[in-house]
Amino acid sequence: MSLRSLPRAGAFAALLLAATATHAAAAWTTDPAQSRLGFTATLAGGDFDGAFQRFQTDIDFDPADLEGSRFRVEIALASADTGDADRDLALKGADFFAVERWPSARFSADRFVVLGNGRFEALGRLTIRDTSREIRLPFRFEPVGDGKRAVLAGGTTIRRLDYGVGQGEWQDTQWLGDEVRIRFTLQLQRQETTSP
Amino acid sequence: MQLRNTADTYGALAKFLHWTIVILIIAQYVIIEAAEELPDGLEKLTMITRHKSIGILVLGLALIRIAWKLVNKGRPAPVPMPRPQRIAAAAGHGLLYLLILAQPISGWMMSSAANYPVTFFGWFQFPALVGANEGMHEFYEEVHEFLFTALLVVTVVHVLAALYHHFIQKDDTLRRMLPFGRRRAA
Repeated sequence: MSLRSLPRAGAFAALLLAATATHAAAAWTTDPAQSRLGFTATLAGGDFDGAFQRFQTDIDFDPADLEGSRFRVEIALASADTGDADRDLALKGADFFAVERWPSARFSADRFVVLGNGRFEALGRLTIRDTSREIRLPFRFEPVGDGKRAVLAGGTTIRRLDYGVGQGEWQDTQWLGDEVRIRFTLQLQRQETTSP
Repeated sequence: MQLRNTADTYGALAKFLHWTIVILIIAQYVIIEAAEELPDGLEKLTMITRHKSIGILVLGLALIRIAWKLVNKGRPAPVPMPRPQRIAAAAGHGLLYLLILAQPISGWMMSSAANYPVTFFGWFQFPALVGANEGMHEFYEEVHEFLFTALLVVTVVHVLAALYHHFIQKDDTLRRMLPFGRRRAA
């Protein structure tokens, strides 16, 4: 960073602080045992599915305060489970997730759009390996019971090759399809606000 | 050559199904043995995928073969032979049909247990026969290999029996299933 850009960086830091200060949307924790982050890919014209066993979420969401809402999700790519040890091993390898270089995928969103009927769309950034792309992630948010719990569920379709998942011969999409459907259902629990 | 079986020979459809299934099963063995030699990769995946599609084709053809056999009830007429020999022949043929059906089904179960899709050349996806379960995948793999050995053994007996009829008994048993077989001149 050059000296000239320092004031700008300072202004940016101040903005960030301001954003944190006005942060008001409800914070939620995900119950991993009741939640699922799955994907469906196609192999030779047939579907197979899998799921990530380990992922962490940092979710602030309030339908009444979309400005203060945000998603931060970190997915341990080595936890991809497709029900076959050979395939899981291949996914961890250099041609696919390359977990030794890039252990996790990340999704972060700070902009939200109301779709109606309890449905929303997160506009965020998905990073897999060393590639980040802007994606739209439609989801529904359903408060349960006394509002202490909620279900956050949705999904989208991405192209694996946009992120370099499938190098070399695996860039061929005749056998392993490019499109991968992502589906998630998160059981959220309202974080108790710690006393100031 | 007519399509239906007649009193003394198999028709074109029965012959076509019999020999097509023979050729496909030999191809299945060649493909999977070659695939086993390959390192994990796209080429191996491609060959295993073809093996699975051809397996589904064999299953379909075997079902048509059995249905066609039922339609052509009693034709061709059994070659005259002693009762124990007739029972052995019927049991052998029953076992062959059973193994030809069980072999692709066990492969299908093996794929389902490993959560791999089974399609017919990518045109149509078949549902999983069993739930994904890695331990069961190993089990179905053993079954699939055992059934192949059983099929091989019964086929050898089947071929020897056909040759016995042809060269020792000198009857029309083999001839009536040969693609361009003609009846022995009377």
